[in-house]
Amino acid sequence: MALRSQLLKGVLDACVMAVVEEQPVYGYELSQKLQKIGLPDISDGTIYPVLLRLQKNGFIQGEMRPSATGPNRKYYFLTDKGKGELEQISSEWLQIAQPVSQLLKRSEKDEKRSRTN
Amino acid sequence: MRNAAELIKENNQKRELLNVENEKIYTDVLLYIRTDLRVDEHAAEELLMDLLDHLIEAQENGKDAQDLFGDSLKSYADELIANMPTENKRNIILLFSTGILGLVGWFALSYGILNGVITIFTPVDNKFALGSVSLILLTLLVVGVFGILFIFRMIRSSVFKPKYQEWKLYVQSALYAMVAFAFVLGVGFFFDGIGPVVQVQWWVLLMIGLTLLGLSKGLSRQTLNQ
Repeated sequence: MALRSQLLKGVLDACVMAVVEEQPVYGYELSQKLQKIGLPDISDGTIYPVLLRLQKNGFIQGEMRPSATGPNRKYYFLTDKGKGELEQISSEWLQIAQPVSQLLKRSEKDEKRSRTN
Repeated sequence: MRNAAELIKENNQKRELLNVENEKIYTDVLLYIRTDLRVDEHAAEELLMDLLDHLIEAQENGKDAQDLFGDSLKSYADELIANMPTENKRNIILLFSTGILGLVGWFALSYGILNGVITIFTPVDNKFALGSVSLILLTLLVVGVFGILFIFRMIRSSVFKPKYQEWKLYVQSALYAMVAFAFVLGVGFFFDGIGPVVQVQWWVLLMIGLTLLGLSKGLSRQTLNQ
C-alpha cells in the first residue's frame, strides 16, 4: 500500500506510536503486531519511513538492546513529546472517526443504489 | 553506540545470510541509499541494519525482499531517503577536509619516498615551482571529486534493474581514470615553472606528508554522530 495521502500517513503514525507506547519493539516485531491488530494490506516495509519520520520529529527514540531471540536489535521507545502527540492525535481521531465512517458508509450505499437503478 | 564503520562491517557479514534474490534486491537498496550524499551516514547505516535484520527474519519465515520493500523499489527507497536526517554541514566540511589533507599528504609522502630512493643512486634536483604544484593539486582535487560524483551517479542509475551490467561500470570508471590521469599530466606539462621556486629535501616532503596524513586521520575521528 503506497501511503501517499496525508491522512493515511497521520493515521499510520498514530498506530505505530500506539504500539510502541504499549511496549518498546523493534522493526520486525512492530510489523507483526500491526498485522495482527488487523491492518492488513500494509507491506512490512511501510513502517520504516514512518519510524524515520517519527524519530526525526522526536516522537520516538531508538536504542540498541539484546532481543528475546539473541542478537541486538534497535528498539523504539515513545518519548514524552511522542506521548503528547499521540494523545492529541487520538482525541482528534476519536472525534471524527465515527461520523466519518457513518458518512462514508452512507455514500457507499448511495453509490450502490445509483448503480442498480 | 556503534559507529558507522562498525555498522558497515557488521552489515557485510550479515548480508551473507541472505539468499541470492534477497541479497540482490537488498544490495540495490543499500547502494542507492549509500550513494546519496545528502543523508546522514550514521542514520543511513542504522536504517540499513534495521532493514537487513528485518529481511533476515522475514526470510526465515518464508517471506522475501519484495514483501518487505514492496513492488516499486526505487520509490520505496526514495521515500526512506526523504524521511532520513540530512548530513550536517560540519560533517560534510570534515569529510572534504579529510579528503583534501589525505590526498595532499599521500602525494607529498610518495613523492618524498620516491625522491629519497632516487637520491641513493643519483643526486636529485628538488626544486618545486609553488604555482605549478598548487595548480596540479587543485586539478587532482577537482578530478577526484568529479570522479566520485560520476561513479556514484552510474551506480545509482544501474541499480533496481533486473540485470546488473557490472562490466559497464568498470569500463566507464577505467575510461574516466585514464582521461583524468592524462588531464593531470597535461596540466603539469603545460603549466610548468609557474610561481616562486623552492628547494625541498626528500625527507622534508616525507615529514610534511606524514603530518598531513596524521591531521587527516585525526580530523576523521571528529565526525559527529547525530
